[in-house]
Amino acid sequence: MTYEYDVVVVGAGNGGLTAASRLAQEGLRVVLLERHNLPGGCAASFVRGRFEFEASLHELCGVGTPEKPGAVRRLFTQLGADAGFINEKNLFRAITVGEDGFDVTLKSGGEEFYRSVTEACPGSEKAVRKLRKLMDDTEKALEYNDASKGSPSKLVMLLKYSKFLLSASHSIDDILRSLGFTLKERHILETYWSYLGVPADELNAFHYLEMLRGYINGGAGVPYHKSYGLSLSLADVFLKNGGEIRYNTEVTGLIFENGRVAGVTAGADEYRAKEVVSNVIPHNVFGMKGRENIPPREKRLLNARKLGISFICIYLGLDATAEELGIKDYSLFVAHMASSRNQYLAEHAKGMYVVNCLNVAVPDATPEGTCSLFFTVPIFTEKLIRGFDSGNYREMKSEVAELYIEDYERVTGIRIKDRIEEISVATPVTFARYFGSPNGTAYGYELSKWDSLMARNLSQESELNIAGLTFCGGHSVRGDGYGVSYESGMSAAEAVIKRMKGSRDGQKD
Amino acid sequence: MGRRTDRNKEPGGKLSVAEFLRLVPERLKKIAGSSDSDVEQAADYPVNRLAAEIHPGTQNLRIAKVCTLSADTKLYTLIPDPESGTASLAPFAPGQYISVRVEKDGRILSRPYSLASSPEEAAGNGKGDGVYEIAVRRIPGGEVSGHIHENWEIGTRVTVSEPMGEFTYERLRDAGCVVGIAGGVGITPFRSHIRSILRGGESFRLILLYGVRKEEDIIFGSELEEAAKSGMIRVVYVYSDEKKTGCESGFITPGLIRRYAPDSEYSVFACGPSSMYRFLEAELPALGLRRKYVRYDAKGQIMEPRGEPDYTPADGSEYSITVRRNGDGKTVKCHPDETVMSAIERGGIAVPSGCRSGECGYCHSRLVSGRCYIPASRDGRRQADKIYGYIHPCVSYPRSDLVIEVPPVPAGPSVRGDTE
Repeated sequence: MTYEYDVVVVGAGNGGLTAASRLAQEGLRVVLLERHNLPGGCAASFVRGRFEFEASLHELCGVGTPEKPGAVRRLFTQLGADAGFINEKNLFRAITVGEDGFDVTLKSGGEEFYRSVTEACPGSEKAVRKLRKLMDDTEKALEYNDASKGSPSKLVMLLKYSKFLLSASHSIDDILRSLGFTLKERHILETYWSYLGVPADELNAFHYLEMLRGYINGGAGVPYHKSYGLSLSLADVFLKNGGEIRYNTEVTGLIFENGRVAGVTAGADEYRAKEVVSNVIPHNVFGMKGRENIPPREKRLLNARKLGISFICIYLGLDATAEELGIKDYSLFVAHMASSRNQYLAEHAKGMYVVNCLNVAVPDATPEGTCSLFFTVPIFTEKLIRGFDSGNYREMKSEVAELYIEDYERVTGIRIKDRIEEISVATPVTFARYFGSPNGTAYGYELSKWDSLMARNLSQESELNIAGLTFCGGHSVRGDGYGVSYESGMSAAEAVIKRMKGSRDGQKD
Repeated sequence: MGRRTDRNKEPGGKLSVAEFLRLVPERLKKIAGSSDSDVEQAADYPVNRLAAEIHPGTQNLRIAKVCTLSADTKLYTLIPDPESGTASLAPFAPGQYISVRVEKDGRILSRPYSLASSPEEAAGNGKGDGVYEIAVRRIPGGEVSGHIHENWEIGTRVTVSEPMGEFTYERLRDAGCVVGIAGGVGITPFRSHIRSILRGGESFRLILLYGVRKEEDIIFGSELEEAAKSGMIRVVYVYSDEKKTGCESGFITPGLIRRYAPDSEYSVFACGPSSMYRFLEAELPALGLRRKYVRYDAKGQIMEPRGEPDYTPADGSEYSITVRRNGDGKTVKCHPDETVMSAIERGGIAVPSGCRSGECGYCHSRLVSGRCYIPASRDGRRQADKIYGYIHPCVSYPRSDLVIEVPPVPAGPSVRGDTE
C-alpha cells in the first residue's frame, strides 16, 4: 500500500511523540510509525505481579511548579497534554566509599541548593558564590544568544560573556577548579556526570551546568503515572488532533526523490510525505534501504562518533515499605571511588550506580505495604557485558543483580535481599531489543570533547543536513535526557512547520 | 586557613577563551579523518546480535516427533527449520511458554503452550540440534488444540513465538524449596523444571503435588517417578475422582500442602486450569505465606467468566465491535462472555497474541469507545493504560458496543512481549 501524509514521524520515543503532537496541533496530516506496540521508547513502564516498574526515568529537570512552570511543564501545557508531576525536593544523596569518600545530600531549588553545597563543602562559600555567578552569567549569555537569533556578535560574547565562553569550551572539572573548588568538592558537584555519560574531566562544563541549573531552578519532578503516563498523554493529544499512530510498524527504508527524502518504507508499504522526522538514531536510518543516497560527509560524521552509553537496570519490588526498610532517599548515587574517570573505567560494582526509590517521591507508587527500588548501572564500556551469551544470559543477570544488591546492603546498611517479591533485570541486550539502537545505546552518541553539546551546536547547520529529513531525540544536538529529548522534538517540529508553511505561502496560484 | 591553602594549591590547566574558537576546527578535523564507508548495520553489533539470538520474535520450526501421552494429550517435538530461517532455538527458562500460531480456514489463531522440555535440550550441542517439546491436550470443542491434533505430523512446519512468560524460578526471589501444584496438563512447566534440575541447569528442591481426575490421566508418570529417585524431587499424585493407596485424593488444599511442605520457608508455584486458580486464590491465604512465595503461571483464558468474584453482568446478549486498523474498519459480533480477542479472531482479523492471560501486553490495544468487563484476576495493565483507555483484548469482555484500534501482527521478527 502507498499512504500519503504531510509528515511522517518515525519512532514514538520522547522526541517523536513531541514532534508528532506539535505537528498535528498545527493541523498537518501526520502519521507516527513505531516498531514496538507501545509509545514512549525509554519512557515506559512494565508490570510484574502487583508492581508496575518505571523503566528508565529518574527525574525530569525543568518541571517547576504550576505557578512557576519550568520548560518541560510549559511544553506539556503548550501541547495540551495533561501530565501530573510531583516535585522532588532532594536533588540527590551521594555516598562515595573509600578514603576520599563522602556522604552528602544536595537539595533542589535555588537557595536550598547553594546552602546544601556550602554545608556539604565547608569553606567553599567563595567558590559557591562564583559558581552561582557563572550560572547566572550563562543564563544571560543564552538569553543574548536567543535574542540574536543564533548569530551573536563575537565581540559582545568575548567582552561581556567571556565566562560563558570558557565554560562552553572547557570541562566541568576544569571550570570548577578555576572557581576554587577542591578535588573532593568537585567530586561532590560532579555527581550527576553519569547522566551525560562522559567523565567530568572531558564533559563540557556549559552542558553540565545547564543540566544542573534545570534541576536546581526548574525544579526536579517525577510524573505521577510514571514516564509511561507522559508517553500516553502525548499520544492522546496527538490522536485528538487527528494524528494517526501505527504500532508494530518498523520502518525499513528511506525514499529519495530529486535529492530529498520523500517518505519511508515499512516492509511492502510506502509512506510518502513532504517531510520526515526521525526519532530513530542516524546510525539506524543510514543503515536502511536507500542508504546509497546518504552523502559521504554524513557517513564520515557517524563513523567518527562514539556510541553513547547503555545500562543495566535492576527493578526490585519489595514486600516492606521504604519506611520499614529505612530508605529515605529518592535518588542515591553510590560510588566506590571518587573520580568520575575511574568510575567510567571500573569493573562491575566497583564504579558507580544510582538507586531510586519511587515511593519516597510518590508514596502510593506501589501497593500498600510494599516499595520498589530501581538500580541504574551505566555501562560505559562494552567490556561490562562481555561474558554474556545466549546460554548464560539469565544466570548472568541474576549474578550481576546480586552483586549490586549486596553492595547496596553493605554501603547503606539497609537489608533488602530477603524482601524481594519481584525482580527484573534489563541490560544493553534489552535496550537493543526494544530500541534496535546499535549496542543498545540509550544515550545516542557520546558527548566526547570533540562531540560536545557546544561543538554540535556550532556545527548543526551543516551536519545531518538532508533535505526532507529532520532528526530529534536523545541522539540529537542537545544530547540525551528526557527534557532535552522532548525539546528536540519541539525544535524538529518547528523547523518542519516553518519550511512547510513557507512553501505553502509561496505556492500562490 | 589550611583549607584555603589547599584551594590555591590545586593544580589546574590554563583556561582560555581561544579554546572556544578551536571547537569547530577540531570537530571538522576529526570528521574529515574518519571513513566515508557505510555505517555498520545496527544488527551487526555484538549486543544486537545477542538480542536477536535471545529474542528472535518468531521462530520457524518443524515437527520431528509425535508421541501419544494419554487419551487426549500428545507430545510434539519441535526442531529448528533452517530452510525457513530459524537455525537454532531461542533459549528459555523452565516455566516459559511459546505462543503457537495456526492457520485455520484462512484465520490466524494462536495459543500459548508451556515448554515441557528443558533449556539444556533446547541448546543441544549448540549446533542447531536442540529441541522443544510441548504437550497439547485436546480440549472438547477447542479450535486450536483440535487443529493441532488433526494436522500436526512429522515434518509439519509451524510458526511459534520466542519463549515468553514469568513463571520461572529466580533464586534471588524464591525459596530454596518449591511446592509445585500441577493441575492436569499444568504438569508441563514442572516437567521442564525437573528435566533442567536433572541436567544440572536449575537447582532447587521440588515437591510436586500433581492433581488429576484419575490415574489414567497422568502423563509423564514413569519419568516423574524416575526423577524422584534423584533426591531433589518428590512427586505426590492427587486424584480428585478416585482413591488409590500411596496417593492422595480430593483437591489440593492448604492442609494437603502443609502435610508435604518443609518446616523451612518454601515457595508455591501453581499451574493448572482456571478453576484451580480460583480455588487456590480463595484457599491459599490460609497458609499465611508471604505473597512473594506464591506464584501462578499465566492464568489463561477464563472458561466461565461468570464464576469470577467481580463478574459484571451484561445488559445485552450480543455486542458489535468495530476494529480499526491502518485506516480500515471491520465490524464483528461478540457475546458478553466471550473475549474481545476471540471475537476479532473469529471475524478473520489477525491479532497480536501471546499469553492470552492479560499479562504479556502483546495485544495492547486502544479502546476508542465503549465499556468492557476486565476481571481483576487477569488485569495486567499499567495505571496509565487504565486512564487513557487501553485494554488487553485477550481478557476483556464487552459490556457495550465497542470501537477498538488493534495493532497489526508485526511483519518482521518482532514479537513484543513485556519481558526483558
